[in-house]
Amino acid sequence: MLIFRKPLEGIDRPQMPADVVIVGGGPAGMACALRLSQLIDQHNAQHSDSQLSKENIYVLEKAREIGQHCLSGALLDPRSMRELLPGFEKEAPLDAEVTKEAVYFLTEKSKLKFPITPPPLRDHGNYVISLNRFVKWLGSKVEETGITIFTGFAGSELLFDGDRVTGVRTDDKGVDKQNQPKSNFEPGYDLQAKVVILAEGTRGSLTKQLIAKFDLTKGCNPQTYGQGIKELWEVPSGRIAPGEVIYTMGWPLTTKEYGGAWIYGGKDNIVSLGFVTGLDYPDPRLDPQRVLQDFKQHSFVAKLLEGGKMIRYGAKALPYGGWWAIPPVAGNGWMILGDSAGFLNAQRLKGIHLAIKSGMLAAETAFEALKKGDSSAATLGQFQEKVESSWIKDELWKVRNFHQGFEHGFWAGMFHAGLQQFTGGRGLRSRYSGKAGYEHMKKLAELPADGGNEAHLLGPAKGDGRLTFDKLTDLYHSGTKHEEDQPAHLVIHDTDVCNNRCIKEFGNPCQNFCPANVYEMVEDTSQPNGKHISLNPSNCVHCKTCDIADPYQIITWVPPEGGGGPNYDGM
Amino acid sequence: MPDTILVIVEQREGKLNRVSWESLTAGQALAAEMGWTLEAAVVGSGVTNFASEIAAKKVVKVYAVDSPQLEPYTPDAFAAGLKQFIMAKQPKLVLMPHTYQVRDFVPKLATAMGRTAISDCIGYKKEGEKLLFTRQMFQGKLAADVSFTCDAPWFVTFQNGAFRGDKVEAGAAAAPIETVKVDIANNVIRNKPQEVFKEAKQAVDLTQAEIIVSVGRGIKEQKNIELAKQLAEALGGELAASRPICDSGWLPMDRQIGSSGQTVAPKLYLALGISGAIQHIVGMKGARTIIAINKDSEAPIFEIADYAVVGNLFDIVPPLIEEVKKAKTGA
Repeated sequence: MLIFRKPLEGIDRPQMPADVVIVGGGPAGMACALRLSQLIDQHNAQHSDSQLSKENIYVLEKAREIGQHCLSGALLDPRSMRELLPGFEKEAPLDAEVTKEAVYFLTEKSKLKFPITPPPLRDHGNYVISLNRFVKWLGSKVEETGITIFTGFAGSELLFDGDRVTGVRTDDKGVDKQNQPKSNFEPGYDLQAKVVILAEGTRGSLTKQLIAKFDLTKGCNPQTYGQGIKELWEVPSGRIAPGEVIYTMGWPLTTKEYGGAWIYGGKDNIVSLGFVTGLDYPDPRLDPQRVLQDFKQHSFVAKLLEGGKMIRYGAKALPYGGWWAIPPVAGNGWMILGDSAGFLNAQRLKGIHLAIKSGMLAAETAFEALKKGDSSAATLGQFQEKVESSWIKDELWKVRNFHQGFEHGFWAGMFHAGLQQFTGGRGLRSRYSGKAGYEHMKKLAELPADGGNEAHLLGPAKGDGRLTFDKLTDLYHSGTKHEEDQPAHLVIHDTDVCNNRCIKEFGNPCQNFCPANVYEMVEDTSQPNGKHISLNPSNCVHCKTCDIADPYQIITWVPPEGGGGPNYDGM
Repeated sequence: MPDTILVIVEQREGKLNRVSWESLTAGQALAAEMGWTLEAAVVGSGVTNFASEIAAKKVVKVYAVDSPQLEPYTPDAFAAGLKQFIMAKQPKLVLMPHTYQVRDFVPKLATAMGRTAISDCIGYKKEGEKLLFTRQMFQGKLAADVSFTCDAPWFVTFQNGAFRGDKVEAGAAAAPIETVKVDIANNVIRNKPQEVFKEAKQAVDLTQAEIIVSVGRGIKEQKNIELAKQLAEALGGELAASRPICDSGWLPMDRQIGSSGQTVAPKLYLALGISGAIQHIVGMKGARTIIAINKDSEAPIFEIADYAVVGNLFDIVPPLIEEVKKAKTGA
């Protein structure tokens, strides 16, 4: 019997007043904290009579240490960082400036180089970084300001008063598998905040609560997502130059799936490579972790990695629905940043610079709110206006229809992308509609039993232990750890659907799309279909794919006990 | 008359809890700083011998709060007895170590008196006329200074190690001892203490085992664990498991081997129906001899096994148990 995590009821919780609570210490949250501190310092220097305090500004970060849940390719477009910390290049941990880029279209046996690099994929002037190290550095800057970062604390619930967000409840600690307090039980805190800023990353769990409560996505295109699977490799020297960037399209995906790979050359013969698979593929048997393993077997990639060693693994979902999928980002007491809002340029596959910019704009708005003593929608709504009059909108407007163009396959996508390139992003019409990714998933009965053209993408990767890896081996390299004795944080609202319906209709795709083997159908002769759903929550790498891709939408990802999760050193 | 600080020294089953000296050190420091009087009390039945041990320290007076009802310890009797005593003496501040016993009765005592307790403090501060107590929040990431807004007596408990028990000052002469009898009606005590016991056995320490029989998912059902147990017993070894088994509750978590369990290096490791995911391997690869039984010839466990048996464990284990028994009796 599965017992799911939820905040305990009927207990006394410590109350703590706060001016600003930022949920999530990634690039958006850290940039927000840093900018807010800068504004307060400037203000205090000029107004000796009305000093603002930073003491009650808090960042909640569920990872045990700053940056340990941060994963990205990553290429950094420095635009926003130059605004936040001019001259940051001198001290930030940057691996290399991009010096060379190439785009290939792969078929199973060959590769075709694009004669010119398409403009959106030109990366000269960008930097290859490890987002983990970059955020650690950003976090140390925040800590120097005197703003407190609570590492190991997750936001488990939003607190409301009518139509106003009034705070954040942190996670209960020391709760056992049956949802009972253990001897080390510590109730979550109620942080009563004037301003709550959600910077949780893709498909944030509090953001999801907020969107549901106020029906914020009404009138928006459904958000669409991709799942990025990444491996970090150490390769013999001379294989790829620091700052060399390679993108591929095509194989192993067919024309029915959206996605592509990146290969970035970092410092010290470290190569970041990964594959993003759109979570709108038709065949439920597809396994994105396997897609990366297949990709590595292409002779082009295999040669690059030969004799090398895989040192780290991770996965993350990314939002690429674009401008039309972004919900309102501010309201009474709240603002939403970065990937939680959907600030990601799907065409360039870049979101870090937008996350940082959104954090800065939110900080400016929060600062106004503190000064005025008003954090209602009247004041925080300025954030919405700031976003719309900033270069965030300029950049996203040009690619507003990009991903939707690909919903009907690769060739239609290329046609629309080309057309949009010459019409300022418009294409055939100003707004392309979209469909949620999970709605593209087909039932097994509608698909060829042998997988047809997709056969090579289906089912788990076996792995040879050198170039390719099975999922559990990959997972081991994510360094994931959780307190084992705690309730499952993957909340399945009705396991009967898994055991009785999904098993027949879709074949339990959770087992395939989860990059961490959290979901498992185990044999059970007492079940009518011979199996029941079982969870391994402590494998979870916090990518949120299950919450996104489940065709019945009955999974809600909530944060496990703070401190647990992957350990993305150098990712 | 100056205000009084009362330190409640803990005794249990004829032993004085040493951590009480830490509270006494805190009391001595506070008394000096505030100019208040320091007194101490020990609670129980026939506790004057403790009182004289305390009286050797630098305190103005020691009370032995006495009643036959206070032995054995019950939270009801302690709360009732101390309430009577504290109401009569009206100290400003009551200090205690943050022990299990104190945690048990202090909320009740403070509530019964309509007062507040500030618990698990790591220190105090004097700010002007205000006395602040420091508590940890967010698992020690933040320290909060808390003060009382209610009337005295104020209850404060100190975290273990917050003050140094060995720094408690001895007195110039023994302090006077006064025995205070408290009346506790029989019907006040609703708790009935049973015999005190220690939790039966510490978690099994697999790292000390020379032989380990470990089961994985291949064991199929919970009832089949018995088979592995018989083999472990026959070999004189310990029973362990891979995560799915402990996760299903078929064996307790302290028998889990691997990255999320224990790491072992026995002389013999017998893996029954364990596929050998890397998460398990890292917990046992140091074993001197590894025997693996698995029906999947490609199971990764075979890559590190010294002896690989491809086959159904239910066919192999029962005769193996018999053979081991025979060999043992023959030897």
